[in-house]
Amino acid sequence: MLIGVDVGGTFTDLVLADAGGALHFTKAPSTPDDPSRGVVNALELMAVQRGEDLQTLLRQVSVFIHGTTVATNILVQRNGARLGLITTRGFRDLIELREGSRPNRYTLRTPAPEAIVARPLRLEVTERVGANGSVITPLDEAELAAAIAQFRAADVGGVVVCFLHAHKRPEHELAVRTAIERSGWRPFVSLSHEMLSREGEYDRLSTALVNAYVGPGLQAYLRHLFGQLNARGIQVPVFVMQSTGGVLPIEAAARRAVGAVTSGPAGGAMSGVLFAKALGIANLVTYDTGGTSTDVCLIQDGAPVEKSRTDLADLRIAAPAIEVNPIGIGGGSVAVVDSSGILAVGPRSAGAVPGPACFQKGGTQATLTDANLVLGLISPTTFLGGRMPLDVNGARAAIENDIAIPLGMSIEDAAWSVHVLATSGITEGIRLATVRRGQDPRDFVLMSFGGAGGLHANGVARELQIPKVVIPRMASVLSALGFLAADIRQDLQRTLDRPILATSHAELATIFAELEAEGRILLKETGVVADHIHVQRSMECRYARQNHGIPVPLGDNLYPVDIERRFTEAYRSLYQHAHEGEPGIIDACRISVFGALPKIDLPVQENGQPDPEPAFRGRRDIYIGRPIEADIYWFDDLRRGMRVSGPAIIESASTTVLVEPGSIAMMDRVGSLLLVAGES
Amino acid sequence: MKLSTGQKASALTLAVVRHKLKAVTEEMVETMTHTCFSPILNQNQDFSAVVLDANFLTVSQAERVPIHMGAMPLAVRMMAEAFAADLHEGDVLMANDPYWGGSHLPDVTLAMPFFADGQVHLWVALRAHQGDIGGMSAGGYSAAASEIWQEGLRIPPLKLVAEGRLREDILRLVAENSRKPGDLRGDLMAQLAAVRIGICRLHHLFVRYGSAEIGGCVNGILDGGEAVTRRMLAECCDGTHEGLSYMEFSGAPNGLLPIPVTVEIKDGHAIVDLTQCPDQVKAFINSPQANTRAAVMVAFLYFSGDEDGLNDGSARAIELRTRSGSLLDPVSPAPVGACTSSTACAVIEAVLQALEGADPSRAIGGFARRFRFALAGKDRAGTPFIWHYFFNKGGTGGNRGHDGWPNIGGLHNPGGTPSPSIERTENSYPLLVEEYALEADTGGVGCWRGGLGGKLVLRYQGDAPAILNAAGEGVSVRPFGTQDGAAGPGHDYYLADEVGSRKIGIHDSGVAVMPGARIICISAGGGGYGDPSQRDRASLERDIAYGYVSLQAARLSYAMEVKM
Repeated sequence: MLIGVDVGGTFTDLVLADAGGALHFTKAPSTPDDPSRGVVNALELMAVQRGEDLQTLLRQVSVFIHGTTVATNILVQRNGARLGLITTRGFRDLIELREGSRPNRYTLRTPAPEAIVARPLRLEVTERVGANGSVITPLDEAELAAAIAQFRAADVGGVVVCFLHAHKRPEHELAVRTAIERSGWRPFVSLSHEMLSREGEYDRLSTALVNAYVGPGLQAYLRHLFGQLNARGIQVPVFVMQSTGGVLPIEAAARRAVGAVTSGPAGGAMSGVLFAKALGIANLVTYDTGGTSTDVCLIQDGAPVEKSRTDLADLRIAAPAIEVNPIGIGGGSVAVVDSSGILAVGPRSAGAVPGPACFQKGGTQATLTDANLVLGLISPTTFLGGRMPLDVNGARAAIENDIAIPLGMSIEDAAWSVHVLATSGITEGIRLATVRRGQDPRDFVLMSFGGAGGLHANGVARELQIPKVVIPRMASVLSALGFLAADIRQDLQRTLDRPILATSHAELATIFAELEAEGRILLKETGVVADHIHVQRSMECRYARQNHGIPVPLGDNLYPVDIERRFTEAYRSLYQHAHEGEPGIIDACRISVFGALPKIDLPVQENGQPDPEPAFRGRRDIYIGRPIEADIYWFDDLRRGMRVSGPAIIESASTTVLVEPGSIAMMDRVGSLLLVAGES
Repeated sequence: MKLSTGQKASALTLAVVRHKLKAVTEEMVETMTHTCFSPILNQNQDFSAVVLDANFLTVSQAERVPIHMGAMPLAVRMMAEAFAADLHEGDVLMANDPYWGGSHLPDVTLAMPFFADGQVHLWVALRAHQGDIGGMSAGGYSAAASEIWQEGLRIPPLKLVAEGRLREDILRLVAENSRKPGDLRGDLMAQLAAVRIGICRLHHLFVRYGSAEIGGCVNGILDGGEAVTRRMLAECCDGTHEGLSYMEFSGAPNGLLPIPVTVEIKDGHAIVDLTQCPDQVKAFINSPQANTRAAVMVAFLYFSGDEDGLNDGSARAIELRTRSGSLLDPVSPAPVGACTSSTACAVIEAVLQALEGADPSRAIGGFARRFRFALAGKDRAGTPFIWHYFFNKGGTGGNRGHDGWPNIGGLHNPGGTPSPSIERTENSYPLLVEEYALEADTGGVGCWRGGLGGKLVLRYQGDAPAILNAAGEGVSVRPFGTQDGAAGPGHDYYLADEVGSRKIGIHDSGVAVMPGARIICISAGGGGYGDPSQRDRASLERDIAYGYVSLQAARLSYAMEVKM
């Protein structure tokens, strides 16, 4: 039995795959003060649903995968550990110097970001390693001892060490850990070379700082959670979702807390992988429209597109992560007539509190959700399964005051304008996400999820000229479902920094063999047996004149001439050309070691009759630039083969899909809706 | 070439079309990023894209470099006028000549008209900073140039593509005038791909909405931009406001060239008068009119801080006056290489100072200017190297409510290109970085203090002497203070070896750097805003605890009673 539990801002979602392969879902309200309570509550609900007690349920669990935003929230809310930083003498300010960059060029009146480690707790010690890895100045142990004593006196919770060229020669960084351990003190320690074994002191420093900042809080939470589950009978290790779409066991996840920071969208992308496989789709672009934003992920050849760094909350996280392209459009996006007199939607969001005007939680500004409610696209009575009745009059008043009156249009036209502009925002965001990868959106199938995604899917598909949209029925628990497609994954890398052709097959084979051995040992600690391990090798390569490398996937062939060719191919697919004859440089050798976990397959439904009559729930007046009457269907009652013709609304407790006139939606073999956009 | 005017677009179409036009420019920039050839260009993104209306007003832009934006309308206008009677669908025009609407020679602009029903309705253009366009020194910044011809290849408006057919002969001519012909050819082809994508997207928009509706939207967008600027100007005090900044120039009597400006604001309209600036000089700091215009527009944008009106509608509310033959509106053959950085900064500063008089609450203290140097020599293996990266950019100015930022640098592109890593520097060059840190007491004193300058110590480790060539500004002209705040200190660079230490001047060239010598750079801190005695005590105490302000300075400059 496999269980995936995703703790979101509002709900804790649970997906259970039983021994027969059937899927079961439930959700419980999240409990932000102690998220583990929400997890246990969801498990209890599931036990009730299955007619057994919690202990019996947990005893049958063979794989338990947990996704948490604890680490992300600590970073974004800036309530992490008090940090102490030790650097090479002369370099304590690198985090504040930010490589001389700032994100916005025009808005000069903003405060500089507060460094994540206070300057008085950034200490320098005498030591120096050169660019070739030689020790220029040995580590001054007395200074080190004094620094540790100072941190201890200041009661820091995390110690970060970043010495120059530590990726080439880590012994000074390691000596700091040894000294801390000898002192008998047990803070959370992050060494820059362990976070990232690669050139680039700012990336290593920032990543190690984030790790130590969120690590203690994540560790405490995960241990607490495991204690709760263990006390109720779970007998297997709990795995934690990582930003790569892989998982790690609790202790490893806490040590590498940075991997959980950007893990939020990974579950959704992994469920994209699941559907792509089940439906035989190679290239899929997923978009997840939630309350505040839309996350776009690309799946190419069945695997999510990754990136090697993420900039988040004024910091750099240089760890591999599924690439997420955020768009500032969500249900809570505020619609305004801006200072130039033109309508704009997002990126500002009313969030969950005060939220859209129709939530009746104090929000008065018009939002996308208010617009969709005014248009009749969202039902005021079935939103969140009817748990949150929506105030249509409040929504109308907000749209009227903020949009209709200033623009001199009817409330309905104002709401429709907000809806269409949001569709346009999602459309162009998806287009840019594909263009950025050297791809054409028309070569992808679209997958829409998240509560607000389905209302815009038809419009987005038509504008992008993408013929098909997949809208899964379990849209609201998709992230948790995606967890069940994950493997245990350890990523390791080693810096090389040499021209490709200056290496040899033997040398590279040795490096990869060592990395692989190291990765297998790490996996063994998680209890994975050897024949379920597989390995992916890659390199980060660049031209000599470039600052950053690109990933180059490798197979077993490690002959430099062939690697050079593969680099050229990878470069060409991104940039449409390559520099033939110009030598490529290997920045780092990378390996991902996967330990296979039992997987689910999406259950295939029986084919039935095409008439959707059993799911029909009546008719409703909606407004889509003109008043029209739409058929209403209940998503959960639609079965494989049923066809719905627009104008129609397909509703469930967690999502709503608009099928426009001329478009058709069909239920496919795995119970998702396949929307085919017609001409408008 | 007039757009059908008069029609007012619906509010919905206006909002969607504005968004789509923005997406068109973003897609052009992404296309450029993913097809441009020189590896530096695709990682630094030194290019910008615009959609212009038939009157050459920027309707939409994707800016990676602020100083590109305001300069493109004039460039495209002059390109179009050069082919007024001979412009056809499928033509792509190219130019870089400062005396044909360009800025400096490395910035090459490609522009393509969008035709519908046999008429030009819109233009798309993309400007990119090319790595090498010929001239007396590689990379284009020739401090020694006294005439434009020494700065590289001049490209007056020409057709790179005529009715869809690429002029291979032209491409060859331009490429062969570069030290990196392959890169230049590749980057021009990437620019071409980008403008073609732009035209293709415009085509979809016109098919969907029709030319009348799009015309109404374009007018609506420009009207909106104009309204933003007029409202901002209406909030300012009417009257004539003066600003004065300086450029450091050894040819001037006291080493300083004044840049005086008056901004006359009346009824939501501004007249910017730069006619009193000095005559053009035989040095590369002259700024062609298009670049001067861009700098003025950037200053107004900084001042307003409102990006909603980021288009040329705002230009309708701002009239610019320059004097032909002057530093800021030179005539050929004045060289112009440093106009997009050094001169642009001085113009932006002068305009900001003048605007400060119009609305003191929006005042911003001065920024560190750009002062960099190149080091050339041979590494230990005997391979020649040129190191010319820019670390330690200096602080930005304080403003009401905020201290300045450290390490951001010049107003022409604040916080633009990130510095490469120290490890890469040491790995690739015979240099050891001994220190890179914030420098105490460098932030201009004020109620809101300037951002701190930094300290960079480079030790040269080659076997034979290397040669240092400096270029830049901001040593004797300090980042100005505002509203009773104090100026930040200027840059202070010096060279220290066994013989002793000597200052590095902004125009020093051919300075021998001995093996083992140290180059020490203390960068300028930003100017302060407001009376320092009004600085919040908690902030000051934190400044002291963090070592941003020394105890001594706290007593002297902030009148703090410090308990020891």
